[in-house]
Amino acid sequence: MGLLSEVKKDYGRLKNYVNGEWIDSNSDKAIDIENPSTGEIIGQVPMSTADETKAAIEAANEAWWAWRETPPITRGRLFFKLKEHLEQNFENIARIMTQEQGKTIDEARGETRRSIENVEVAAGIPSLMMGYGLEDGGAEGIDEDAIISPLGVFGAICPFNFPAMIPYWFWPYAVASGNTYIVKPSSQVPITQNYMTKMVEQAGFPPGVFNIVNGSHEVSDTLMEHPKVKGISFVGSSPVAKYIYKHSAEYGKRVQAQGGAKNSLVIMPDAVLDRTVSNMLASYYGCAGQRCLAGANMVAVGNIADTLLKKWVEGSKKIKMGYGLDESVNMGPVVSAKAKKKVIEYIDSAEADGAKILLDGRTAKVPGYEKGHFVGPTVIDQVTPDMKVAKEEIFGPVVTYLRMDTMDEAIDFIHSSPFGNAASVYTSSGKTAREFRYKCQCGNIGINIGIVAAMAYFPFAGYKDSFFGDLHGQGQDAIKFFTDRKVVITRWF
Amino acid sequence: MVECDFPECTTFGSVIRFALELEKGASGVYEELAKEPKAAAAAETFKALAAAHKKRGELLEFTRQQKLNEMILEPIQDMRREKYLIDTKTPMGADVKTAAKFVAKIEEISSVFYLDSAKIAKMLMAEAARIMDKLGKENLANKAKLESL
Repeated sequence: MGLLSEVKKDYGRLKNYVNGEWIDSNSDKAIDIENPSTGEIIGQVPMSTADETKAAIEAANEAWWAWRETPPITRGRLFFKLKEHLEQNFENIARIMTQEQGKTIDEARGETRRSIENVEVAAGIPSLMMGYGLEDGGAEGIDEDAIISPLGVFGAICPFNFPAMIPYWFWPYAVASGNTYIVKPSSQVPITQNYMTKMVEQAGFPPGVFNIVNGSHEVSDTLMEHPKVKGISFVGSSPVAKYIYKHSAEYGKRVQAQGGAKNSLVIMPDAVLDRTVSNMLASYYGCAGQRCLAGANMVAVGNIADTLLKKWVEGSKKIKMGYGLDESVNMGPVVSAKAKKKVIEYIDSAEADGAKILLDGRTAKVPGYEKGHFVGPTVIDQVTPDMKVAKEEIFGPVVTYLRMDTMDEAIDFIHSSPFGNAASVYTSSGKTAREFRYKCQCGNIGINIGIVAAMAYFPFAGYKDSFFGDLHGQGQDAIKFFTDRKVVITRWF
Repeated sequence: MVECDFPECTTFGSVIRFALELEKGASGVYEELAKEPKAAAAAETFKALAAAHKKRGELLEFTRQQKLNEMILEPIQDMRREKYLIDTKTPMGADVKTAAKFVAKIEEISSVFYLDSAKIAKMLMAEAARIMDKLGKENLANKAKLESL
């Protein structure tokens, strides 16, 4: 059977999609897009200029009023069409994602499904953006209503780890609720989003309603600073999320900025061990650990520690690495040479700090893919809460193993982190699970689930330095972020 | 034989891929047997089963697209392909009995694959497990039908 075929070997120099047209950037700066499994260059992404970004903002702003006047039911219908086009291209989207990002084909298919789910939810916009009113709410004979209205042009600055899904946490809700939109895909993985934009075009969205501008800081800064942009959505590391939040707010924007994470999975002595290990393998090694919901610290409570660790190492050794277009592969590479170097430096630091490397992925090689950026599953034992590897986000397939006496101690440890993205507990006790859920100050809580990935109709939450803002992506939170309440008080003489 | 270059189905995708190969192999054999002059009495049955296996392939494609949840995309173990390989080299010139015996073996092996997959998938993805279980039971029904020819 061999590898699944690649959609293309080379995607060439990508174009921007502005005002319903595919336009070459006139920037002479471009960067190569690398397949992280093979090291091959598969395309170039132009570093679009501030002027090109401004032109996209103007086009989106021009398109806004007519789009806002388009009835929600009509806007929703275009999302049904978009869904059909995405379904028809499902496999191609997934394969491109594997090719440019490195995740396995199953992971890429899962991500494609999640993107489509956001389209499905946004298609229900007439129900989602209904306002509310009260007869005689003002006084006798005076009615009061709150109407949910769109605001104008919004933009998203997107990360490398979910090239398809993350823009879809935002733009379908923004556009369905009557705004226009500009996506800046990650310059490391722009092909998937550019490919999906062909489906947006085929679905028949009017020119200017949805736009793609490829590039880097110049595009981001222009989006954040331009007076016609009403809000910014961002996903990335915490320091950048904080900068985006502050900088955009300085320019009067609404902001939702998702940051990094250091998620702990807590395993209680009454956990169902085999199922727990199997589920956690997906959490720690899925997407090569490059999820903001990935497990990072593994916290064994009480006397389960040694048995769990033995099983964990056995399970980790069975993880098959390779090019994700081989369907039997469990884990792909990390996204770049730079990312690999960073992960290896963290493992080195753990060793220097006195932790014990039980399974070492630093020298992992995949035959036939010597230029790939593979880091093998790594298990580090005897980690203490003060070590760098226990505190900082590694973003690779590295498990830092900690032992604690009680769940409260584990929760205190979780709370000592500046991050508050996700935490999970594995237990058979409802009481323990309830207590964990109640006490734990993280935005996404898992009970016997290691990847607490909210579905499209729930917000992708996050506390502390894992999220800057108040309204999250997806579902009703997204609708609220992209709209405002207009209160109308009415009296008839 | 169904071609497959990974020794073990270790992912949801590889299970579905292997299943698709089984279906493609089975429908190919049925199509060829339907053209065998000596097995002409069973031609309609073989044609119907060829079509049924193609349809099962479509169901598997649907399952791959729709039933995959990345929250529970756990590694799969103990699904070695050697246990489930089917012989797809159609016996040329076979009469009804020989042909039926040949394809009954394919159905039998396929049923084992699907029922094993269903057991494993049940722990991971209940919806996919139901589909695998249905397919395995269909294989057993097909086998019984073929043995009565």
